[in-house]
Amino acid sequence: MMVEAVHTYYDNVHAVKGISFEVRRGEITALIGANGAGKSTSIKTICGLLRPRSGGVYLEGSPIHKLPPERIVRLGIGYVPEGRRVFPLLTVDENLAMGAFHRRDSAGIARDKAGVYETFPKLMDRRKQLAGALSGGEQQMLAIGRALMSRPSLLVMDEPSLGLAPLLVRQVFEIIVGLNEQGLTILLSEQNARSALKIAHRGIVMETGKVRFADTSKALRENPVVQRAYLGFA
Amino acid sequence: MNSGIFIQTIIGGLGIGSLYALIALGYSMVYRSMGLVNFAQGSIYMVGTYFGIIWYAGIVVGLRVPYPVALLIGILLNAMLGVVLERIFRPLAKLDLMFMLLGTIGLGFVLNNLFVIIFGAEGFAVKSPLPDTPIIVLGIRVLPQMLLLIGGAAALMTALQIFLKRGKLGVAMRASAMDHDIASAMGIPVNRMNALTLAIGSALAAAAGILAAPIVYVNPAMGSAIGLKGFAAAILGGFGSIPGAIVGGLLFGVLEAVSSGYISSSYTRGIAFIIMVLVLMIKPTGIVGETTVEKV
Repeated sequence: MMVEAVHTYYDNVHAVKGISFEVRRGEITALIGANGAGKSTSIKTICGLLRPRSGGVYLEGSPIHKLPPERIVRLGIGYVPEGRRVFPLLTVDENLAMGAFHRRDSAGIARDKAGVYETFPKLMDRRKQLAGALSGGEQQMLAIGRALMSRPSLLVMDEPSLGLAPLLVRQVFEIIVGLNEQGLTILLSEQNARSALKIAHRGIVMETGKVRFADTSKALRENPVVQRAYLGFA
Repeated sequence: MNSGIFIQTIIGGLGIGSLYALIALGYSMVYRSMGLVNFAQGSIYMVGTYFGIIWYAGIVVGLRVPYPVALLIGILLNAMLGVVLERIFRPLAKLDLMFMLLGTIGLGFVLNNLFVIIFGAEGFAVKSPLPDTPIIVLGIRVLPQMLLLIGGAAALMTALQIFLKRGKLGVAMRASAMDHDIASAMGIPVNRMNALTLAIGSALAAAAGILAAPIVYVNPAMGSAIGLKGFAAAILGGFGSIPGAIVGGLLFGVLEAVSSGYISSSYTRGIAFIIMVLVLMIKPTGIVGETTVEKV
């Protein structure tokens, strides 16, 4: 997937100012930056929730930035929103079913649902409960499971570790690595640059709506500017 | 106090209350899914009644169809009207309450006057497809049409509940009402869900009107009072809540019937509204209120 010279306004604020980057197939790409750097706006632009004022988003070479979100998910981009945003008054099971809304293959859906429950056994126990009653960690699992139900080839995750206890954060990152090992391409936005660069192949550092650095995780970890500003080295 | 008369009053109240409940459902469902307070609901009810009853009463070139067929035609035509309305309301739903108010009330006027132009301002009475003589059980007298109204409304409300709880589309409608952005990012076409909501709300209003037509008088102004009462009923039950609309509608109908039977028929409307205000003073979210989830 390619993002090319995208400008996006969020509530009339010029939040993303001409960013370009690439997400390579089979890799984990981390989008790093402070609060307000434009990470969420970039992610929402990719998923179609925001429309770029100029520039474009290309999936396998074809433009997707003019499509509504419900079409983009069909093309294989799964979205795990910031703050989880599960449907609070639907059960866990119904939330997962909504992730597969556009699919018609009921056998495949049932298989994938079983797969999600296998990955997240806690959700299985709470299958019939309302999603709003789950803990933050469980809701994050559900948000990931719901996105997987659309059978994405690219999973876009917006701050999946936000507001979770350290132990859960580690768990979420393990899950991300596991999904990537199964062949899923992942774009991950994170404020926690240190953990994100540990699992990502590549990183994009955003500052005030622009891409500051884009390189392999290794190179970024060794970059003194990144070290000072994001990795907490003196 | 005669208990037979009392039960009879309650049944009458439930009948008219079923009518309010079906109208209130339209208000609440649309509010839930689009955040829009649709003050054209009363007019939509009137239009739906005409859409069905004209074929039964032989208003159009003397064409007559059986009552159940007319009921179906009315429901279908009004559902289609609902789909058209979604397109009209789409820009309104993004604006302030004041614009919604003006826009939907204005649309109501347009519909009302359109029907005055087409069918004339004076209305007509509709003969019940069932016998006009009351059924008498244990001294309680009930019109067969009243039972049909109560039974029909109950069947429709049950069907709606099953659709919303079990059907994939119904669950998607609820999901879309909860979070537009995320629903669309999950592949749910939100505008189509809104159109479906308006279609169902309008279909229920048409059913209500056609079922009630032999009891009430059919004319282009028939929707104004009922539209207001349906709105009050929705608020009484908890605006935006589906069980609330049903409870509120039935309760409002019973309150009206009891106050007219035992206090004064000339103050019926006032008394029911006063009770509504009292309930809201004690519980501002309405009887059923907004559903929230307790963390466990």
